[in-house]
Parts: sequence; structure tokens; C-alpha cells
Amino acid sequence: MRKFTLLLLSSVFISMTVFAGGYQVRLQGNKQNGFGLVGTPLSAGASSMFYNPGALSFMKNKFEIELGASAILSNVAFQKNGSNYQAQTDNPLGTPFYFYVAGKIGKMFALGLAVYTPYGSTTKWDSNWAGKYLIQDISLSAIFIQPTISFNFNDKFGIGAGFIYTIGSVELNKAINYSGDAGVNLNGSANSFGYNIGIFFKPAERWNIGLDYRSKVNMSVEGGDATFVLPSSLQGTLPTNNKFSAELPLPANLDLGVAVQATDKLLIAIEFDWVFWSTYDTLSFKFEQAGELLDSDNPRKYRDTFIPRIGIQYAFSEKFEIRGGAYYDTSPASDNYFTPETVTLNTFAYTLGFSWNPSKHFSLDFSFLQTFGLKSDKTYKPDNFGGTYQTSALVPGLGLSYKF
Amino acid sequence: MKTKYFLYVVTVLFLVSSCKPEINDFTPESGSADLTSYVAVGNSLTAGYADASLYASGQKSGFASILAQQFAYAGGNGTFKIPMMPTEDGVSPRVTPTGLYFTTKLVIGYSTDCLGNTSLAPVPADPNPDQAKLAQELTTSVAAEGPFNNIGVPGVKVGHLLAPGLGTLNPYYGRFAENPQTDALIGEAAKVNPTFFTLWIGNNDVLGYATSGGLEAITPMEGPAGVGFAASYTAVVQQLTSMASSGAIANIPAITSAAFFTTVPYNPIVLSEQAMVDALNAAYAPYNGAMAQLKLPYRIKWKLGANPMVIADADMGIPVPQLNIRQIEKGELVLLTIPQDSIKCAFWGTQKPIPNQYILTSKEIKKIENATDVFNKFIKDKAVEYDLALVDFNSLMVTIATKGLVFDGIPFSSAFITGNLFSLDGIHLTPQGNAVVANYFIDAINAKYNANVPKVNISDYAPVVLP
Repeated sequence: MRKFTLLLLSSVFISMTVFAGGYQVRLQGNKQNGFGLVGTPLSAGASSMFYNPGALSFMKNKFEIELGASAILSNVAFQKNGSNYQAQTDNPLGTPFYFYVAGKIGKMFALGLAVYTPYGSTTKWDSNWAGKYLIQDISLSAIFIQPTISFNFNDKFGIGAGFIYTIGSVELNKAINYSGDAGVNLNGSANSFGYNIGIFFKPAERWNIGLDYRSKVNMSVEGGDATFVLPSSLQGTLPTNNKFSAELPLPANLDLGVAVQATDKLLIAIEFDWVFWSTYDTLSFKFEQAGELLDSDNPRKYRDTFIPRIGIQYAFSEKFEIRGGAYYDTSPASDNYFTPETVTLNTFAYTLGFSWNPSKHFSLDFSFLQTFGLKSDKTYKPDNFGGTYQTSALVPGLGLSYKF
Repeated sequence: MKTKYFLYVVTVLFLVSSCKPEINDFTPESGSADLTSYVAVGNSLTAGYADASLYASGQKSGFASILAQQFAYAGGNGTFKIPMMPTEDGVSPRVTPTGLYFTTKLVIGYSTDCLGNTSLAPVPADPNPDQAKLAQELTTSVAAEGPFNNIGVPGVKVGHLLAPGLGTLNPYYGRFAENPQTDALIGEAAKVNPTFFTLWIGNNDVLGYATSGGLEAITPMEGPAGVGFAASYTAVVQQLTSMASSGAIANIPAITSAAFFTTVPYNPIVLSEQAMVDALNAAYAPYNGAMAQLKLPYRIKWKLGANPMVIADADMGIPVPQLNIRQIEKGELVLLTIPQDSIKCAFWGTQKPIPNQYILTSKEIKKIENATDVFNKFIKDKAVEYDLALVDFNSLMVTIATKGLVFDGIPFSSAFITGNLFSLDGIHLTPQGNAVVANYFIDAINAKYNANVPKVNISDYAPVVLP
């Protein structure tokens, strides 16, 4: 088991693909993935550390390990304004993963460690596409490591908090408008901090309410590598090996959900997520050398988004549950500041999933999502580059959990 | 059992939706225009002249070639024959005091000035070209390869289009005319049975005046066809509309906004020593005294820092020729062709007045602007009268020069070399500039004919090539 875990983790190429709002990826538990990504009002064991640490102390077992991943197969199609020019991305497979381990201490406390990947984006356009001066490809990833503690006052009310340490990296390529293959590769990493706090409340026997706040994490790249390919005549003016700094905010989330065990077999939940995207106003790059020529402030002007979700689960038996869900995620980017580096459209998604529990200790969770980015006209005005974008993604996922 | 059912559902969904999203919202259409056979009529801009020369890749990335390529999506027959120059260096004839001299195109290279400073600058692709070879390249007839869809000829004015025997005077036409002694350029258009034409002409009717520093005359408005702008333009449009059912005509850009006129500052004389200032002021004291006596406002004064150049200006009309000099005013323009070494090392602008051919005075600028306005108003009237699409490059040029424009992440300004719009001669376009122009034609055509010709990606074309 342990060997397998390590193998799986190390073989995961940590890159995700935009398939929802901004560069957020909420695939942090395969039960929740199939359940409309609703998680805040659930007492879902170890995976509560991401969705709502307040629910962790309500875990039913003494010890739980959860491990899983999803495969994001995403595509973006683009047609340029006033033109029959079309382009499609060639995005690599995105593989967000999670690993949770948690244990209960007495009746009231639970402790755990969560490792998950809630933000990431890989968009790969053809290197010679029409928008090459905006972006050719970009991948950003962030691994969150979150030790968590949870406490319940009684069997109705629990709170929890996690400290988040983030390991992030970003790499992008874009062409520069000089003749030939002029371009720049930016590659940097950033480690940062944040927190995750939640409240879990059971007002009545069949009702759960969850409230969770995950803080903003500022990914500050300092001293990233900027490698330029330039005509030789410019190399006296612009160094080919430079350093850059930039800051990319991973926005805060406020999630509120209600779940009701309608019958012994039927669980229904709704959740509303508020994502504080408005923090992403400008993407600024500062360069160590020749800054007066290279530094740039690129408006992004994101707006907060609001995501309603619903999930329904039916338990056929102790051994077998099926679930489904849906959500609607609005685009944080405005029509005039929409860049092809993060193609984020208003997106509808449905989810399916089932769990198979062959024994008391072991369960397998399968999930499947399909997202439909609603076709729309978008422009990045500062670069006068726009057209019609459409996105879709298929996301199968598999999770394992072991508990006693 | 249920597992099986779910796997089935998942598999089906997977298959159904694994097809990638595709957008096909654009249907190319020609609307009420007939784009089957396209002929491009005009001057150097239509010919694809760039970097002070007509050369092969410049011709291919001219706006007319780009338009033909886009028309092919909307009913164009895909044929667009160009009287191709045989080389990438191209040929440009210059009239010099000692006779014709042939040059190649300009490229960015390293040049060393009279002070020994080496910097990046436009230099001839071949500094010592074989004159006989270039002469042969320019004069070898390609008429047998015709008829041609691109009949743009560098240097032509509107009246030239109608002139029989133009081929004997203008080698760029002579090389593709079947009978250079007798043929008129406008007659070439009929040979491709055009259904659609573009006409961008008139620039040289004012530009000749401007690029010669006011030495050549502006074409008069009045006069018979072949002489006057109005009658010539009308005759050309009449003939073209009798051949082709639809077309687009473009007006004359605000040429004094081009890099050719805006790159060299009016005040490049930088004095850093008081002794030099005093010496110059002393030298011009007699001039200032004479002007005072003549009760004329002209004074030549020097100070530390940047100083305006001294220029020759015959329009001052002082009977003593040596006194027809003055300091250039802010807003007056210096041509890109001014020999910079002469300013740096031969005391041009300080001890020797700059010859008038390198300067546009306020008076000359006013004349150019007036003529451009009059011609453009006439062009606009003709577009209405003959029901043609009108492309307003005058205002495009003003916008680019004052505010700049961005397309596909590429900024355009009228700045020399870095502005992406102008090639190394400062007045003709880069391939990217040609793509911008082609898209403006397409916008005007789509609007006029309710057509849907697809625009071109500006980013597919090159800016000024740096070594």
C-alpha cells in the first residue's frame, strides 16, 4: 500500500488544466467530485480537511487515509474576430491529486495532514498561433500542504483550522515581435502561506450546515529565470538571461453548504461558493535587468464569482452508492480583459460518481465530470486580440480510501 | 449489475463528448461584390515596394497579395499574378547628378559614422551593387508572364495611369508592359477581366512634393485628364468601373505623419560648450543685424543644449540669396534622407544651412495638407458617385501617429523601425503594416458590399527584420 502510494505520487506530473473558473481546480475528493463538487456540508472523513476542516472531527473512523487523482482532458477552441482563423489548444493531461491522512484523538479532536492541488492551469497553444505575442503556453501549479486540527464541542457543532504551506511554480512562453523566433521563457517558483478554517453544524438529526473559508495565497515569484531568444543585434540592450519577479494571487474562497439526509438512502446537498477573484487585478512582471524596457503591468481585472452547486446521492446498500451533481461556474474574467492564457468561460458541468466499499476498511470512489464552457466572444483589449472561445473538459477520477 | 450499467453510461458519455469543441461561426461571403478576378491598381504601396526597393518577398507580402489571398475564401479565383522582381535585394533607380544609380533594398546593419561611432542603422543590402546587373534586372521584360493582377507601379501619379508610353519613362512599368512605347498602365487592368479592383493612387501627387522637400510640384487639381488631378482621377475610376462591377478606393494618408518626416528632430544641434555658443552667435551677428535693418523678424540664436538647425528657405524672398536662411521652427520637418554625417562632421545646420530638399517648411506642410484634403474630398465624392468602398487611410495614419494602435498584441506607431508600421525607407510599409492595411480594405469592403471577407492575422507577418 505505502509503496503504491509513493509510486503514484511521484509519477504524477503536477499540472492541471483550466476547466472551471479562473485557474482554480476543485477536484479534491472523488466522492465530492461526483457530487457536484459539493463538500462543505458533508462529514466526509479525511477529505473534509480541504472542504471543511470543521467537519473533520465528525469522522466516523479512528484513522483514515484517502488518496486519489483526476485526469483532466480539456480542450479550448478559438475563432478570431472577423476571421475564419481557428485554433485549438493541445493541452497536456491535467492530473490534480490529493492525499489525506487523519486520525481521531478521543471523541472531540481530530488531527490530520492534507496534500492537495486546488489551483493550476496548463494551456498550450500552437507556438505559431495568432495570439503568440500574448501567450504560447503556460502552466502553473500549486501543491498545498495543510496540517489540520478539528474540534467538536458536542455532536452538533465542530470547528477546524488548517495551516497551509504552498509550493508553487509557473512557466510560460510567449513570442516577442522581433523577426525570427524571438521569444521569452519565464520559469519561476514560489512558496507561500495561507489557512483554511471551517465550521460544521448539525442543527437537526438529518441536517448538516457547513461554512468554510480558505484564505488567499499570494504566490510571489522572486528571481525566476527569464530566458530570451533575441536577434543578436539586440543582445547588447536586452540580456538573454535575466531574472524576473511576479505575483499571482490564488484567491480566497467562502463556501456555504446545506445537506439533508432526506431518507436513509437519499442525501441531497446544495452549496454556494464565493470566490474572491477580484484580487487578481493586474499581473505585473518586473525584471532585474533592463527593467525600463521589459517591466509590464498587464490588467486582468477579475471579478468575484459565485458558484451554485447541487449534489444527490443514493445508497443502494452499505457497499454501493451512486451520486450525481451539477454546478454553474461563472467566468471571473470580463469580456474586454480576457486573455488566452486563462480561458475561463461561464461553465456548466454535470458530475457522476459511485463508491464501492468491498469491506469495512476499504473503498473505491469513481467520479466523472463533464464541463461545457459556454461559447462566447471575448477580447483582450490592451492587445486588441479577441474572438470566440469555447471550452470543454472530461474529467474521470479515481480515489481510494482506507480506514479503521 | 449496477456497476456495469454505470460503466456503460460513463463509456457512452466519454465517446459522445470526446470530440473536441470546434467553432465555425464565420462564413466567408462576397456579398454584393464579385471578387472572382481582382486587379490592384496604384503606386509603390500597391506594388509592394518596401525598404526603398521593389524586391520579391516585399511584393509577395504587399497588401494586394494579402487581399487576393483573403478574397480566395470568398469567391476569388485564387489567381493573383505579380510582375515579380528576380531577387530578394531588388532594384531601385536613383537619379543622381552623374546619372542613374541603382541601389538594392535597405537592411538593418552596422554603420560607422564620421565620428567613428558604429551603430545599427539602415544600410544597403549590397553596398557596392553591380550596376549592370541591377540595370538588367530592372529592365528585363516579364511581359510574357502576364497578364498581371497587380499592376501597381512605384512612382506613379494619377495622371500617369492614363499616359501612353509610360513604360519608357518608368522602368517598373516598362518591364511588364507588352508595348512600353504605346501602352497605358490603366489598359493592363482590362487584361485580367477584373470583377473587382482596388485603386490607391494620389499619394505621389503630393508625396513627390513632400519627399523632394518641396522641389517637385504638387499635381494641380484642374487640367485635362493626364494633367489635372480631378479629370485624371475621374477618367481612371470611369475606366475601372467599366471593367469591374465592384471595387474599393483608398484615400491619401496624412503623409507628413510618416517616419520619413518625423524621425530626424528639428533641433539635433547639441552645444555643450559656451565657447562654441559664443562663436556661433558672433558669426551670426551680421545676419541678425541685417534682418533688423530689413525689419524682418528672423534671428539666429544659439544656446547651450539642443538648437534648431539653420536651413535654406527660398520662400523668405530676400533679394540677397545668402540671407534666405533661418533657424527651423518646431513643427517643421526634416526628411529621413538628410545626410546625418554632414550634420555631425560637415557643420550642416550650424555653419552651412541645410538645403531645402531635406526640409519641409510650415508653408510647404500647409500646401501638402491642403492638397491632401482637396484630393481626399474628391476621392470621397468619387466613391459615392461610383458606389465604391472607400478606405480612409488618412484618418488611420493620424490615429497611428497620435495614439498608436495595437493588433494581435503588436503595437503600431509611426516611429521609425520600432513602430512596426514603416519599413526602412520610413514611408513604405513592413509586411505587418501591409497586413494592417489589408484588414482596413477588408473592413471597408465588408461594410460596403455586405460581404464577409475574412481578415488576416497580423501576427503571421514580419516586422522590420533585425540581424
